[in-house]
Amino acid sequence: MAPSGLRRVNDPPLLILVSLADGPKHGHALAKDIEDFAGVRLGPGALYGAITRLVERGLIEPLGGDDRRRPYQITPPGSAALAGALADMRRITRAGVSRLGLDPA
Amino acid sequence: MKAARLLRWYPRAWRERYGEELLALIQDTLDEGRPTWRLRLGVVRGGLRERVHQAVRAGTAAAKRTSTGLLITVVAAMILGSLPWDLKASLPPARAWQKTAAFDALVGAFAVTGVVVLASGLVAAPAFIAFLREGGWQQIRRRVAWAAGATVAAGGGLAGLFLAERSMSSAQVNHSWAYGIGVVATTAALVVASGLWASAVTATAKHLKLATRARAAQPLLAAVTLTAAQVILPANLILLAAAQSSLPWLVVGVTNLALVGFVTPRFVGRAVRQSRRLRVASGKMTVNRSPQRTHGRHRA
Repeated sequence: MAPSGLRRVNDPPLLILVSLADGPKHGHALAKDIEDFAGVRLGPGALYGAITRLVERGLIEPLGGDDRRRPYQITPPGSAALAGALADMRRITRAGVSRLGLDPA
Repeated sequence: MKAARLLRWYPRAWRERYGEELLALIQDTLDEGRPTWRLRLGVVRGGLRERVHQAVRAGTAAAKRTSTGLLITVVAAMILGSLPWDLKASLPPARAWQKTAAFDALVGAFAVTGVVVLASGLVAAPAFIAFLREGGWQQIRRRVAWAAGATVAAGGGLAGLFLAERSMSSAQVNHSWAYGIGVVATTAALVVASGLWASAVTATAKHLKLATRARAAQPLLAAVTLTAAQVILPANLILLAAAQSSLPWLVVGVTNLALVGFVTPRFVGRAVRQSRRLRVASGKMTVNRSPQRTHGRHRA
């Protein structure tokens, strides 16, 4: 497993990092956004399990404000981990597309 | 569905940190008309997973914390215990200096531990008082009650042992099963009481809003306590070796002492770095200026 803990494209931590890449969001906004861009419906249990792990690893951090709907933002190490995971995926995607003879566009 | 009930599947520490947020998310999800059974199952699964995760993490941390010195003691004792008796018979006589030095080290370690624990308490006292004023007692009441109960049980055990010793001769004490069971039960109660107090203090500390200087002082105080605690075991062993003119115990004690000498600088170094990081993070000190300033002060 990668040091960042990112394993596959529908991995909740990866989806959360992608969602937070364009700005802070609270739990419900995260779930909605992930459903919109990835078609993956994360339940409250799965979402907060992933949030807990990401906070522990320092990849995201909570912001102040409303305690019940606390927004989270991606940290610099989180951005770096996400960039690394996306680069890995891009490399694998290129190889797969090339070997299948598919049009990358 | 009572969403708050679902939170019981999660560990207490997790609930205190994320509980309200999860409840808000559950409420938002329910407002969208999502099926409750699926949501409920997901939350239960998340709670159980969190419990497993915390248990594994606590186990790993405990394993890391387990004193390497203790492990070496056990292994060395097993090796030395298997040595032939004639080797043990050729032990050197007890040396007074060894006994005195070990006793002084033991008393010193206990004194330092006591002073540091007191200092830590004083440093955290204002935050603790503020916590109690804000109604924090309700959050720690149950833990403190359990710890107090175990302490009373341990105290009762100690009093019982004291009375038994006064009413029995040494030979009776040595051959009494009841006394032996009492010693084991009292020791267990003391260990449980210590653990429960540690748990209560840890739970309380999580709620305290410590000042920056207090937060930065904590790692240093913890390092000093840990060092003192690590000195206690080898000092005890050397004291035992002197009292019994035992070469094996002396070897084990000195081995442990050497290990403490090797490990302690790392602990202290890590604590100093952690303390520095805390101060830097709070903006009280800058990374670049601080070493020069410190250097300058020492030179002056």
